[in-house]
Amino acid sequence: MTLFSDQTFRILLSAITGVVAAGWTVHDIVLMVRLRGADRRDPLVADKWFGYTMGIVIGIIGVVGTLRFNGVL
Amino acid sequence: MAATTATPAQAVANPAAPPRVVSRLNPANAVTASRYLTLPPLWWAIHHGYHQYATLFIILCAVLDKVDGLVARVFDCRSSFGELFDAITDGICYGFGLIVVAAYGWAPIAPVGFVIGLGLFNTALRFVYIKRAGRVVNYKSYAMERIVAYTGYLIGFATGGMEVQYFYWAFVPVMLVIVLHDAKRMLIDPVLGPVSGPASGPVPAMPAAGTTR
Repeated sequence: MTLFSDQTFRILLSAITGVVAAGWTVHDIVLMVRLRGADRRDPLVADKWFGYTMGIVIGIIGVVGTLRFNGVL
Repeated sequence: MAATTATPAQAVANPAAPPRVVSRLNPANAVTASRYLTLPPLWWAIHHGYHQYATLFIILCAVLDKVDGLVARVFDCRSSFGELFDAITDGICYGFGLIVVAAYGWAPIAPVGFVIGLGLFNTALRFVYIKRAGRVVNYKSYAMERIVAYTGYLIGFATGGMEVQYFYWAFVPVMLVIVLHDAKRMLIDPVLGPVSGPASGPVPAMPAAGTTR
């Protein structure tokens, strides 16, 4: 019992993962750039900086995984 | 259940004012609770080998996680209880999903066990943090918000058969770093935010993460 063809399902999975991961990476890079100059001794700033860094790492993992899924890497 | 809780935003804005109370029976918490309804069909789909339906149900669960925050803002019913309920629901829904995909052999057991173990450890730390804070408060972390989203995706990778080994093993070191970072904040760093009780004076504002409920 399926909703889509295998090819369509593959494209949807790639889009849901790859597009979101790429967008997420760019989003967190932009937010991190905006944090430049902020005092990292401030706990809130430090938490943001760490969170954005992890967001970028996770986004890259998502993009690489999507490329692997499609045989690019 | 007619208990009420104060809204965190108001407590931060004006600690001297009597806190506005929000019923626990509100639209946002109803949306959060509705996420549990996706779990039986998820299990059903996995049991019958319906990969696409299983993916659909876990996506629905993840989308509802985003919708409840939106509903809380639209209906202005954010509360500390709602934030905690949301975090607990994340843990139960995604924990359940991970256990089921691992049990049916759709995901590797070792990283799933590791992730669930770290999740339980993090949950225990949250209760320690609540005890330190002296009130019901959801510990917020920008990094944890991101890893929770990744956790939802993990179940989708298993149901969709998408680079399962790669995504699961890549997840483990990232979550380990985040949990250790948050453990330090919850156990060692000073508790920030409003403190309930007549004897407490002004305190620094609680750091708020991206989405607040």
